[in-house]
Amino acid sequence: MNLVSNSPWIVHYNCNSCNGCDIEFVACLSPLYDVERFGALHVGNPKHADMLVVTGSVNHRNARVLRNVYEQMPSPKVVLAMGVCTSSGGVFAGCYNILGGIDTVIPVDVFVPGCPPRPEAMIDGVVKALAVLEDKRRGAETATPAKPALTFFPPAPPAQEAARQEAAHA
Amino acid sequence: MNTTLSVPLLLVACPLVFGTCVYFAKTATVRNALVACAAVATMAAGVIAAISGPLVVPGNGALALAALAAEAAAIITVIVVAIRIRSWSIGALGALQLALSGIGCMIERGQGFHAEAPAFVLDSLSTILVLVVSLVGPVIVLYAIGYMNKHHEHAHPGEGSDRRFFLLMVGFLGVMNGLVLANSLRWLGAFWEATTLCSFFLIGHTGTAEAKANAKRALLLNSVGGVALAGAAVGAARAGADSLSGIMAVKALAPMALLCVAAFTKSAQMPFQSWLLGAMVAPTPVSALLHSATMVKAGSYLVLRLAPAFSGQKLMFLVAIAGAFTFAVASTLAVGQSNAKKVLAYSTISNLGLIVACAGINTPLAYAAALMILSFHAVSKGLLFICIGTIEQFIRSRDIEDMGSIMFQLPVTTVIALTGMLSMLLPPFGMLLSKWMAIEAAIASPLILVLVIAGSALTVLFWAKWIGRIQTVSYHPAYRREQLPPTMLVTEIVLAAAVVILGVAAIPLYHRFIEPLALSAYAGVEVPEASLALLRAVKSSMVWPVFLFIGLAAAAIVIALMRFNEKHVRLPFLCGENCGELREGGTLSYSFRGMKDARDTAWSATLYFRSIIHEGAITRWCSLLALLILIAMFGEIGVI
Amino acid sequence: MKEFITVIAALVAAPVLGGLLAGIDRKLTARLQGRVGPPVLQPFYDVVKLLHKEPLAVNRVQVSYVFLHLAFMLIVIVLLVTGRDLLMVLFAHAFSTIALILAGMSVRSPYSRIGSQRKIMQMLAYEPILVLLVVGVYLSTVNFLAATVVTTPRPLLLTMPLVFLAFLMAVAIKLEKSPFDVASSHHAHQELVKGITIEIAGPYLALVEITRFCEQAALFAVIAMFWAQNLFVGALLAIAAFVALILVDNCFARLTTFWMVRYMWTVPMLMALSNIIWLYA
Ligand code: SF4
Repeated sequence: MNLVSNSPWIVHYNCNSCNGCDIEFVACLSPLYDVERFGALHVGNPKHADMLVVTGSVNHRNARVLRNVYEQMPSPKVVLAMGVCTSSGGVFAGCYNILGGIDTVIPVDVFVPGCPPRPEAMIDGVVKALAVLEDKRRGAETATPAKPALTFFPPAPPAQEAARQEAAHA
Repeated sequence: MNTTLSVPLLLVACPLVFGTCVYFAKTATVRNALVACAAVATMAAGVIAAISGPLVVPGNGALALAALAAEAAAIITVIVVAIRIRSWSIGALGALQLALSGIGCMIERGQGFHAEAPAFVLDSLSTILVLVVSLVGPVIVLYAIGYMNKHHEHAHPGEGSDRRFFLLMVGFLGVMNGLVLANSLRWLGAFWEATTLCSFFLIGHTGTAEAKANAKRALLLNSVGGVALAGAAVGAARAGADSLSGIMAVKALAPMALLCVAAFTKSAQMPFQSWLLGAMVAPTPVSALLHSATMVKAGSYLVLRLAPAFSGQKLMFLVAIAGAFTFAVASTLAVGQSNAKKVLAYSTISNLGLIVACAGINTPLAYAAALMILSFHAVSKGLLFICIGTIEQFIRSRDIEDMGSIMFQLPVTTVIALTGMLSMLLPPFGMLLSKWMAIEAAIASPLILVLVIAGSALTVLFWAKWIGRIQTVSYHPAYRREQLPPTMLVTEIVLAAAVVILGVAAIPLYHRFIEPLALSAYAGVEVPEASLALLRAVKSSMVWPVFLFIGLAAAAIVIALMRFNEKHVRLPFLCGENCGELREGGTLSYSFRGMKDARDTAWSATLYFRSIIHEGAITRWCSLLALLILIAMFGEIGVI
Repeated sequence: MKEFITVIAALVAAPVLGGLLAGIDRKLTARLQGRVGPPVLQPFYDVVKLLHKEPLAVNRVQVSYVFLHLAFMLIVIVLLVTGRDLLMVLFAHAFSTIALILAGMSVRSPYSRIGSQRKIMQMLAYEPILVLLVVGVYLSTVNFLAATVVTTPRPLLLTMPLVFLAFLMAVAIKLEKSPFDVASSHHAHQELVKGITIEIAGPYLALVEITRFCEQAALFAVIAMFWAQNLFVGALLAIAAFVALILVDNCFARLTTFWMVRYMWTVPMLMALSNIIWLYA
């Protein structure tokens, strides 16, 4: 029985994203993709939501907000991480303020790769997350998903590089 | 039927004697003990009166003389007071009243009256009033013991002594009992003036300039009523009557109209409402006792008593309009108030207006509705006033906006206050039933109907706003214990229990007492068939739905409390920026991080519609309109 | 006994009917916006899901009021189908709404408090129209009972057409349709997040949803009552009203609370009043 997966209500939290992912996510609601045909609703409020969609990477100031939003959701609940920023920090990785992917703060159930992911990929992620949601309702253990593999590591910024060399000299 | 003077004497003299003893008590302990005895004795007297049943005390020469002396004494006291506070207008009104009383006596003498009409009557209607006065009143007096004790901590230097305060409070109960028992116009006038004087002294009790000014205004407006009363006596004497029953028998219109004016002043109907608002400066037990539960009811009681004899008269239609108008306007003004006592005052005025309107509609159904409002309102409003007194003493503010966290500081009082407020609008409490009956009764006239509907809607509005403000709570396992004087706490609980019991018993009470009483009041009076049909319909639909209300409400609350588990508690949504701890309690759990990570508290004020409801302008224009209705009343009976 | 069965049947049928109406509403709205839209049974899926969620709450008071909200709405249904006093029905309905308002006010969330206050304004806007409707019924049937509406020979629509139109506007407010959806609505309205129900979660929200279904059913039943002599015509009337409301919902933007009160106290109020005066005359 799919008791909870027929009506995923989604709360969307923008964690320091560049807004690319957000625009694509909102496109899912538009008549072209229309996620409401699966019963999904975009609610602005964690207390009504089953699914937390996060875009962007975590920094020192939004980590606590992300945790609060997550904690205020009633279980069973799933977290959907949209875009590479949410898995590693993406183009922001290594910045002075970035903690990394959102899995450093809250448990993630589905990662959707892409910068930004296409709406089709996002809807696919939602469908995957629904299966997890149903499992959680049954009280089954759910696996921690593998992160999208990093294929490109940005070099350290020149200023830090210089500082490190200076330190090595000293 | 009992015809002796013993019961009226018991009801009137018992509080008066105790009050005098209280006045001469040397120490506070003795005084408080005496006040407590007085309260218990008054309650006992009330119960005895109710049990001993209907009674008529025939008038005789000695009683008539005593009445004359009492009335003259009361009026002369008013004049003395007027001279002391240097108010020539009050003095002039007092003199006029004295002169009118004299003229009344002359006419009676000239027509060879022998005071054969009963001096005192205790019928079902006055029994209800006696029960209200001598059961609710003493509870409030008891409450006053604790209240006044705490009151001294921040009293104004010019404040009157406690001895006088309790003399007036306890003595007032006797005077009020006398007022509702009186049938002869002389006795009525005497007790009427005495209640006015009690009210005057108690409003001025705190001794501030504002209190003195407001006391003066109360005395002035009530003196207008006194003059109207004396004028009514003159008119009645000319028509050959010297008592309320006499006026009803001869159907004298002019005295009736004048009595209505007197009633409007006492019940603070528009355009006389301003004194009751000013009276709120008095210590809260005074507001509870005189200015909501008992004294102000005297006016509406008077109209109610006389109404059945004037069934079908245009005059009563105008009275109904005046009452309904007051009901609507006072409710509107209450919506715009954030001062708790002013809201209660306006709500009292509006409820009195509704009683007057029902009396004016003048059908058995309306009469029953008026009786229900009269009794339920007395208990609920007395309770609300004493709760607000406690809250006010505790948070040192009367502003509703400051009552956001009283649920933590005063959990018991707050829950009791909530009970009182809910009893004003929710089923199964009696107020709702009576509003419902009032609307059904008002269907006879579109104008009254629209006013009553508007008033009811606005009433719900201001209660809902207030309830919403004080019940705002976060989950908090440990509430603070209240440190209240026992008399305050116990009286609050007693009155709350009374409200709940009356609420649950409203329907049986209606079937058993109210409806027969309403029908007997109209026995021998021509009433439209449609109104009787409505009465029957009300009777038939007042059986099970309301019990369903009670059962469902109770079940819902039990289920809710059983299902509740601390681990499911979360802070409210504040965009994820909450920084309060769940267990901190109070307002702290509603704090969030704002600009530059500074702590901020989420806050939203209540709507008071200040841009629409200008108290001054509405009061001015509506008083003018009400005055026009009053003038129309006199135009109707051909005086003008 | 027969009455008892009617009551039970109505208590079961009302939420089902209301839920279906809500589902059709969402489907039609989606089609009007060029979308496929959710399945018609979606409202039931929502309720089932909500019932399986964790019962989050802020405090006990809030939870009690949610139960009262539903209880009073059920009473409305019971009173309506047993043909009781319409004024009593109206009161029970008002208390249901007040219970929700108090639930919203019992938490110190600014969103829900503002939502509650707007709900109060909505009540202020539509409640007089409902009372005038009841008054109109009394004047047409010389009775306050819902039962007599069915037995009077003349359909109510013919005696009070203007009250009917005013009542439709009141229904639009009750169902949170644009331009009146100021307190809460099913579309994402960001400035209030979700307004009055924001702090009500999980099964408690399911109760609020069920109440909404019942209310919807009750309101359309009242619309059908305007032609109670022939229930087929009555049902057609209700369906027409339903479609019209959805059309209006999709054509209008949301307007402000005070505009709503001003509008309701002038145009529909005058319409209803003139109809009532005509009935008195
Ligand atoms: S993943 Fe790409 S598009 Fe999405 S937030 Fe990060 S940088 Fe922007």
